[in-house]
Amino acid sequence: MPPTRRAAASLGRFWRVVASRVIESAAVVLALASLVFVALRVLPGDPARLVLGDAAGEADLARVRATLHLDEPLLAQYARFLRGLSRVDLGDSLRRPGTSAMARVGEALAPTAELALVAVTVGAVAGVLAAVAASGPWLPRRGRAWIDRGLVVAAASPLVAFAPVVTWVLAVRARVVPLPGDPDAGAGGLLFASGLLAVPLAAHVGRVTRAALAEVAGAPFLTVAGAKGARPLRVWVVHALPAVVGPIVTVVATQLGALLGGAVVLERMFERWGLGTLILEAYATRDLPVLEGAVVAAGLLFVTAQALGAAVHVAIDPRARGDR
Amino acid sequence: MRRGRWLHLAPLAAVVVACALGAVLAGGPAARLDPARAWCAPSAARLLGCGEAGVDLMAVVSSAALRAVALAVAVSLLSFAIGTPLGVAAALARGRLERLVERACDLVQAFPTFMLALAVLSAVRAPSRVHIGAVFALTAWAPFARLALAQTRVLRGAAFVEAAVALGRGRAGVLLRHVMPNVLGVVAVQLGSTGAAIVVSEAALAFVGLGPRDGVSLGGVLDQGVAAMLRAPHVLVAGAVAVFATSAAMLAAGRAAER
Repeated sequence: MPPTRRAAASLGRFWRVVASRVIESAAVVLALASLVFVALRVLPGDPARLVLGDAAGEADLARVRATLHLDEPLLAQYARFLRGLSRVDLGDSLRRPGTSAMARVGEALAPTAELALVAVTVGAVAGVLAAVAASGPWLPRRGRAWIDRGLVVAAASPLVAFAPVVTWVLAVRARVVPLPGDPDAGAGGLLFASGLLAVPLAAHVGRVTRAALAEVAGAPFLTVAGAKGARPLRVWVVHALPAVVGPIVTVVATQLGALLGGAVVLERMFERWGLGTLILEAYATRDLPVLEGAVVAAGLLFVTAQALGAAVHVAIDPRARGDR
Repeated sequence: MRRGRWLHLAPLAAVVVACALGAVLAGGPAARLDPARAWCAPSAARLLGCGEAGVDLMAVVSSAALRAVALAVAVSLLSFAIGTPLGVAAALARGRLERLVERACDLVQAFPTFMLALAVLSAVRAPSRVHIGAVFALTAWAPFARLALAQTRVLRGAAFVEAAVALGRGRAGVLLRHVMPNVLGVVAVQLGSTGAAIVVSEAALAFVGLGPRDGVSLGGVLDQGVAAMLRAPHVLVAGAVAVFATSAAMLAAGRAAER
């Protein structure tokens, strides 16, 4: 095959991979949205009573049922729900009449995306650095073994257990970071919260990268690079790392769900405004349109990040799109 | 059979015994309030101190950890019982079913489980432990199915399985005698990490306010601890150590199945 045609075929495969990811992402969002819908309407219990409580009168219940269209047949409700999703309009918030549910979700999306983005960046960079330090010749053997052990321990540490303790040590005892709930926490607060969120991710990235680097460590292309006079740093970072991008991107993608859950925990702990806080508030006040919108938005955030990761992977690594 | 494999169960046994002892020593129900002692520091009478409204932390932490272990063991075994046959069946059926189960595992494993739990639990007013366990089981079967599928795929082409078929053993005989014993050992290793994940997720759910309705949960203790971080740090430490010890013991117990 001439080079131009090969490049065109490769590009075609790239778009095919992207297209299949988009379809899969849409399926995940649809599944999550449908689960929320089904859970709120089909499970035993009257949603209108969930909203108003047991003491509510029949007239009020009827009014809420009409607002939420609960008096229509289930399929009609489902069609209306899907139409609303496609138009990004799930009706007004029950607790703040006049504000659309999606507007409240949009307000909350940015802080959570910011938190998650900083956490993914910090976690991926820290994990890769730890793996390179543990693989390269710079540290003594014992130091490298300690990095490996540290990664294992960090990967097994639950965020919900260590985050409060670390916060207590650093915010209350050492007073180097803002206290939870501090409204003036600013960039320091964001950095600290994302740093905590990044720890499990960094540990998983570090372990996987370490294993992948160990696999390519003896490969001829690294020996050649070393024989041509490249320094160890250049050999590991410029030659070895690009070959293991696949596992790194995959492990980041599989950790995203956990990261989103961790973001909810941390938002609650630091009293930060965000998608997690909004979901919990909507849950506590039974604001069903906001709850549905927020969960779907969280799912959307999740699949978008995953699809971006996959696109980066196939763009960097020709093996991922089946090129020979 | 590897010697000393039961040693891996020792941490879990230690956690359970310590919690049972703690519950007995503390006496009385976990939810007993004693407002005069609210947030009191650890002392001889209250070994772990008190929390909000004077609950005895020793009683709360031990019974919460015991309940978390019970939930984790029940859900992991249930997911094991659902996922393993599904994976084996998919690998033996080959073709479309195999691909379908594989894709389903991919999707479920990549799912934001915590969001799913929030969404489904919002349909009940105050979730019970059964509700919470059911939500975890919705996604926990996938790793078992994936492992069983991968292992069966290796086994279905193995020489000893071929030999058994050639010697005239029936499908059921090959499955029970040759495939299953080699699948179960590999899949059972997952029990530990699933159990640990459930202990942690239950604590995380309770931490953000979706705990079981009896209020006895390690996440509830952590929530109290964060709220009273400045005046009663012992609450925080007790909750964090309990979550860490329980999940680590679960992880270690999973290694008992390793060969």
